[in-house]
Amino acid sequence: MTSPAWARRRDAAGRAWREFAANRGGLVGLVVLAVFVLVAALGPVLIDDADLDVTRATGDRLRSPSGEFWLGTDENGRSVLALTLWGTQLSLVVGLAAALLSVVIGTTVGILAGHFGGWLSAVLLRFTDFFLIMPSLVLAIALSAVLDGGAGTIILAIGVVSWPASARLVRAQTLAVEARPYIERSRALGGGHGHVIFKHVLPSVLPLVFVNTTLAVGTAIVAESTLRFLGLGDTNEITWGGLLRSAGSSGAITYGAWWYLLPPGIAIVLLVLAFTLVGRALETVLNPKLRERR
Amino acid sequence: MVTSFPIVEERWYVVLVGRRLAGAGAVVALVAVMAPWVTGVAQAQDAKVLRAGVTQDLDSLNPFITVTRIGTELTRLNYEFLTTYDPKDYHPVPGLAEKWETSPDKLTWTFTIRSGAKWSDGQPITAQDPAFTFSKMMSDTAAATANGNFTQGWESVSAPDDRTLVIRTKQPRSTMLALDVPIVPKHVWEKVTDFKAEPPLPLVGSGPFIVQDYKASQFIKLKANKDYWRGAPKIDGLDFVYYKNVDAEVQALVKGDIDVMNRLVPAQYDTLKKDPNIKLNTGAGRRLNEILINPGATSADGRPIGDGNPALKDPQLRRAIALAIDSRTLVDKVWGGYAAQAAGYIPPGFSEFHLPERTRFDPAEANRMLDAAGYAKGADGVRADKQGKPLRLRLLGHAGTNLDEQASKYLTNWWRDIGIAVEPQMVSDQKVNDATTGAAFDLAFSGWNANPDPDYVLSLQTCGARPNADGKGATPDSFLCDPEYDRLYTEQLQETDRGKRVEIVKKMQQVLADRATLVILGYDNPLEAYRADRWAPFQTQPADGGVILNQQGYWGLYSATPGRTTDAAAPAAAGGSGGGNTGLIIGLVVAGVVVVGGVVLLVGRSRRRGAADERE
Repeated sequence: MTSPAWARRRDAAGRAWREFAANRGGLVGLVVLAVFVLVAALGPVLIDDADLDVTRATGDRLRSPSGEFWLGTDENGRSVLALTLWGTQLSLVVGLAAALLSVVIGTTVGILAGHFGGWLSAVLLRFTDFFLIMPSLVLAIALSAVLDGGAGTIILAIGVVSWPASARLVRAQTLAVEARPYIERSRALGGGHGHVIFKHVLPSVLPLVFVNTTLAVGTAIVAESTLRFLGLGDTNEITWGGLLRSAGSSGAITYGAWWYLLPPGIAIVLLVLAFTLVGRALETVLNPKLRERR
Repeated sequence: MVTSFPIVEERWYVVLVGRRLAGAGAVVALVAVMAPWVTGVAQAQDAKVLRAGVTQDLDSLNPFITVTRIGTELTRLNYEFLTTYDPKDYHPVPGLAEKWETSPDKLTWTFTIRSGAKWSDGQPITAQDPAFTFSKMMSDTAAATANGNFTQGWESVSAPDDRTLVIRTKQPRSTMLALDVPIVPKHVWEKVTDFKAEPPLPLVGSGPFIVQDYKASQFIKLKANKDYWRGAPKIDGLDFVYYKNVDAEVQALVKGDIDVMNRLVPAQYDTLKKDPNIKLNTGAGRRLNEILINPGATSADGRPIGDGNPALKDPQLRRAIALAIDSRTLVDKVWGGYAAQAAGYIPPGFSEFHLPERTRFDPAEANRMLDAAGYAKGADGVRADKQGKPLRLRLLGHAGTNLDEQASKYLTNWWRDIGIAVEPQMVSDQKVNDATTGAAFDLAFSGWNANPDPDYVLSLQTCGARPNADGKGATPDSFLCDPEYDRLYTEQLQETDRGKRVEIVKKMQQVLADRATLVILGYDNPLEAYRADRWAPFQTQPADGGVILNQQGYWGLYSATPGRTTDAAAPAAAGGSGGGNTGLIIGLVVAGVVVVGGVVLLVGRSRRRGAADERE
């Protein structure tokens, strides 16, 4: 632990944190994010299963906020507060997993295309272009309609349609890194493809990938809510998009039941905003281009 | 996926400004495009067009195929039937046939077709047209898809002259004055070879309104038939305008984009009570809502069809599934009290044939039955079927339909309590339709608007209603094929004594409940609304507590008269809307502030970064 390499790394991490902390927006985003994570983790403790079970709901239909139900009730008499809090978990998990999936696919394709070049690159890039020009929402709807319902399908649908941007990004960075002399040196010393990719290219691409993932989560959460709002996936799972959908189909808009529409809507906005703020702040810290300029 | 490319970053602003300009341009262009459209609507209003909202997908415009609510409505508007139902009390009244008589043995029916009536293309309507329609349904299975039950057991149909139609049946038939069969023009349809195909537009019809144009999920346009034999409608046209969901439809009604709609959700109905421009209409439920339980479906030739879970072949399991449904809660919570609790198969709106014995809700008994039948509960609370596999079933429902989406939450919980894991799948109307006719389901939401004569809905559960191996050629419901039920069905069809027929029909409903291939959820009251500031009261059917849309006939829409409904005094608002619009506005303002705040934060950040970039 006391080796010079570790000391250097700790030093670098400390510097990165100070730089991140200097960014007010990023800090705010991080705090909001922490709150959401906390809610998601504590959800099962805070909320009784009976609060979510329509057959055991105690409230009246579409009641406005009161002392008993802080955010009113839904069309089945369940507490909107409990539903919104519970929805955090699935929205977070699905958003993260989908973004991760998309970035993993994107990074793999990007590095392969950038590193090997030639016909493999041409094929992979055309493949990427194909997905890039596809209207992603339509493709995601088609995918989640064909596959079985459930969160897994939604994750897959979002992940599969949203990787091309990160593939392009990673390929560009790979090309930039591989043009540097030390890569040539490493090759001259006998470094194979595996060595170059995992020892040199991947570490220098990773910060970018990390930033990209953080930003992608926001988009994935919006995409997840969109798909749920359109009625895809398991409609019994409680998610923010699903809540908005139920509000729409049960006439809450005509009824003027703002307490039913706003909490999930605001939760989506806040979570996406938090991820974007953190992502942007990370970008200034980790993106070599932006950092070098400082 | 939105990803900020470092390289692109510098040009971010240019792109944004460019987009803004493009956006402004798009708005200008949109206004320019919309302007004639808006005036077009104004003209349409001068031309007295009634606009009705609709959300249900249309399965087909082919009168031999369509079974959906909207499809049936169009058929009734477009084609006059031999006889139709009185708007006040449903008794059979003349349609194309102006009078009829039956032989003493009740096997020969002679209808006299009215003279002078014309098809919408100007050709005269003769007895050849019904003769062609009925013979086609007897000889071509495709033509018998929707209404084949009416011509089953017929011996022959003939038209000795242009005004006489003679129908001979093998046994007496109780449905001869309740033939809900659209009569098509022979001179158009005799050229048709494939009776499953969509007919060309505009349709040629004999009813008060003729279908002119149709764009899936957009609109259906009908023109008034000025030559209609009862007299031309008082309006020039009738448009069905599609909406993605009922809430959008209600907003359109409130804004005045449409004039009439039905199937409101309780919360909407309660809210509209406060709107002085809108008149509400409700009545007794004439629609049965059910869950189908696939009993191991077979096709018309007795071969297995579809992919239903084989465990459901056990009637004891099906009975337990039925016992676990609490209709009372559904009525209170999902239908907001605008419904009647589940009892017999025939809805209470047709009280003569309705079996008033309520379905039971007894999960404890259901659990006992399943324990006794050997379905042991696993560690996760899910029972295993006879093969030891966990009992997991799919529940198919119509996406966007309030009952299906809401009730599925209750149903899955109730069924979980008796150890059955159910996964709801909400899909498009067309997909549900295909899956239920092809038996590709375990459990499915279904429902029928019953008729004054119960034969049609009863026929859906007979062996004869099963489709061919491709899931085509008939309209099945629960795929029940039960000898006792079929025997009773034939009996009621041949029974010409009304009282005795009622007894048989009630017995059939008991058999249905016992076989448990379907469970009644309840009967929702029709909830309708129309613009009282533009339209005089519509003719409802029946006159007392009846409906405007989805009638047994065309009376409601045929009676449309521009004017005003004056007794639309808004009743006192039902409690529960709380802050109402004020609350909504406050809420929206809060949301707006949150969003704007976020944007300001973001833009502020990029601006700072922009400055850093420029410094370079």
